[in-house]
Amino acid sequence: MEKMIIINGEKYQIDVDSNMPLLWFLRDRLEITGTKFGCGAGLCGACTVHVDGVATRACVTPVGALADKKVTTIEGLSVDGDHPLQKAWVENNVPQCGYCQAGQIMNAASFLQQNPTPSSDEIDNAMQGNICRCGTYQRIKKAIADAADELAKEVS
Amino acid sequence: MSIANESRRKFLKASTLATGGLAISIHLPAHAIAFSDNAQESTFSPNAFIHIQDNGDVLIYCGRCEMGQGINTALPAAVADEMDADWQKVTVKQADGNEEKYGPQATGGSASIRVMLTPMREAGASAKVMLIAAAAKVWNVEPSTCHAQKHAVYHQASGKKLSYGELASLAAKQTVPETVTLKAKKDFNYIGKFIPNQNIEQIIKGQLTYGVDTKLPGLKYAAIVHCPVLGGKLKSLNDKDARAIKGVIDVVVIDRLAIPYGSIGGVAVVADNSWTAQQAVKKLNIDWDLGENAHYDTKKYKAQLVKNVEAPAQLVTERGNLTEGLTNAAKTLKATYTGGHLVHAPMEPNASVVWVKDDSCEVWAATQSPADIQKVLAQFLGREAKDIEVHVTMSGGAFGRKFKCDYVHEAAAISQKINAPVQLTWTREEDTKTGYYHSINAQHIEAGIDEQGNIKGWLHRVAFPSIGTLFNPAQIRPSDGDFSAVDNYPYGIENFRSESGEAKAHTRIGWYRAVYAIFYGFSFSSFTDELAYLAGKDPLTYLNQLYDNNTNPDQQEQAARSKHVVNLAAKKAGWFERDKLPKNQAIGLAVHYSFQSYVAMAVRVEVNDEDIKVLQVDSAIDCGQVLNVNGATAQMEGAVVMGMGLALRTEVTFREGAVVNTNFHNYPVMRINEMPQVNVHIVDSEHPSTGLGEPGVAPFAPALSNAVFAASGKRYRDIPFKPMSV
Repeated sequence: MEKMIIINGEKYQIDVDSNMPLLWFLRDRLEITGTKFGCGAGLCGACTVHVDGVATRACVTPVGALADKKVTTIEGLSVDGDHPLQKAWVENNVPQCGYCQAGQIMNAASFLQQNPTPSSDEIDNAMQGNICRCGTYQRIKKAIADAADELAKEVS
Repeated sequence: MSIANESRRKFLKASTLATGGLAISIHLPAHAIAFSDNAQESTFSPNAFIHIQDNGDVLIYCGRCEMGQGINTALPAAVADEMDADWQKVTVKQADGNEEKYGPQATGGSASIRVMLTPMREAGASAKVMLIAAAAKVWNVEPSTCHAQKHAVYHQASGKKLSYGELASLAAKQTVPETVTLKAKKDFNYIGKFIPNQNIEQIIKGQLTYGVDTKLPGLKYAAIVHCPVLGGKLKSLNDKDARAIKGVIDVVVIDRLAIPYGSIGGVAVVADNSWTAQQAVKKLNIDWDLGENAHYDTKKYKAQLVKNVEAPAQLVTERGNLTEGLTNAAKTLKATYTGGHLVHAPMEPNASVVWVKDDSCEVWAATQSPADIQKVLAQFLGREAKDIEVHVTMSGGAFGRKFKCDYVHEAAAISQKINAPVQLTWTREEDTKTGYYHSINAQHIEAGIDEQGNIKGWLHRVAFPSIGTLFNPAQIRPSDGDFSAVDNYPYGIENFRSESGEAKAHTRIGWYRAVYAIFYGFSFSSFTDELAYLAGKDPLTYLNQLYDNNTNPDQQEQAARSKHVVNLAAKKAGWFERDKLPKNQAIGLAVHYSFQSYVAMAVRVEVNDEDIKVLQVDSAIDCGQVLNVNGATAQMEGAVVMGMGLALRTEVTFREGAVVNTNFHNYPVMRINEMPQVNVHIVDSEHPSTGLGEPGVAPFAPALSNAVFAASGKRYRDIPFKPMSV
């Protein structure tokens, strides 16, 4: 039986070495390149995607372990870049080079799912694994707080 | 401002686009932007800076390279401002490598705005003059009775209006103006305003293409391991196990190319995906002959540098009589400051795609200098630089690293061998271990002051392996040119002597964001703070005294602008109310002039025993007329983050010739949980615009050090203060 994986709603056959990290299956096999390579060791968060809704480091997750799992990448986070976090990122002018931002947004999206009303310290704790060398942290924090407020409004 | 130039006609050219519309290109003598006679619109080979289409869409090319510093927003927005274009109708495109066409593209030294702003504003202003001339012709009125506003030309008296799109084709037939008048500050629409990063929509959707993202039909993927020591070479290679891995296509030995920016030498594996290539590289069995730098050990080397600056060294500059100055001083002080190697560690490791064919060579690279790629590949391949076609992609950070194209040379070597397009992406480990490192350094200062604290003599000895060693490996100490910031420091010191200590390079040294300003800023602002305490004065009062007493006519502007920013930062930080802070908190000040911009920082810390927590940073900047408040603010926020990492923790350690650090676990860059509140204060300045990519980094470490001293009495003179042992 062929193993399948669902990425951004599309079914794909896992037709590579099952040890290949999801990151490289996405980038080199499927040429879905929004998910970035930063460290290859789960240290920087640039490759963060969602597996069944949970933030996961694609660079250390073998694709063979993801049969029938649902993977969401930055390209699939929203239909038109209108996820509350994406909007907050634009509103707060977060990115500089932008390379780490897909991972930042994906990590934050998963975090807000679990904790829709985070404190400043909780944002820090949740986002510590995502490095930004340009140093956009102040704006990232503000954007996450703003998105949380926005989500709270949508719920109420 | 009115620009008159007799030979402007030679430098500005207008042409009609094949699709209709106006193309303005500008050509400046040296360091310039050229035009092409061929005005055919084509997707890959644009021949002009500004294109206006018949539908009103404006395309502005950015010749400088974008790596997050915001140049491809700031410069095009200034062009749009001068031509009274609607920024919403402007698309910015990254230009390919072509200095004939686009002027100097090497993007470093915070120079893009200094070098390119005026020519690009003139290009925009010229376009506007021609659009107005076209409208005047249609209406049969004098151009002086017309004006441009938001993408259209108006005739005041009749109330007539023609849009830029309607005018584009006719505008192309108008005469290029001999002179243009640039806008006055009060008329700016975009310059000096808050302009969003023009890439932002693509970034948040994951659509922006970086160096790692280029895809071509038939693309092969490579990974590489480098010779761990500069000057070493391959002794033996057994690649049997690597070649046995499914998907591996070839193993390519790359010899060191001993020219600036050539590969240090390594072995690459090509496969049908990057991961397989990376796995196969680990299976290579390599024996290196490590060569003459095999004993490089940074701990020992730094100790030697300290010795070299604590003893007489080679004279660089002498003014007045230092011995007399120090002898007659009421009080004297000596201190030695040191710092370690740093690696840039941009989030995107070195990456490019190269396709070498018999009759062409095409490159897609995250780079800061496409012309250097052309130069290096031309030499490597034995071809003409003009035959190397370079497409500049977005860089996922660079900080100076991507000025050097060793990684592109390697991709070319691989492509040539396997006769296919190749993407070479370095692993984080290779990026960390095969850098062009910020110099390890030592400085020794001895100064004397009178009863009031006035400086009566200043001796400044410096030793670090110079960037000059990249170009001249025989250089064994900082060159006289490396001392300009030291010799011209704006204290008006009369009895002064600078000396250069021996420091041979044992690794590749390169520009790292802020470059030498990192350690010069640290030593000057730290030592000045120490002198303030010696003189028994408040550090800000003392700084003001030094600036006010500076009578050197060449340093008046520098002194005045430095003084202004440091006072602004101090005031905003609550300097004058700092006695109300808890006992374990304090504010430290520093100011540094670099790359022709002035940045001061006031850093507020809380110190509990050995624990240093940065609470708030107030940064005041004078960069002349600011172009984009958003970009300028972002650069300062980022500079704090980078400054904090290098001040507190990051250091590259060499043992037995090789770098010990490998990845972010042992090169611990700053993370979000340590982010302080950063407030940026921009001086409303009439001075010419200057860049901000680097100048913010220098003042952070000394401001932090001064704050920690004020809070705890502990003086840190070695960067990083708290190195991780690796």
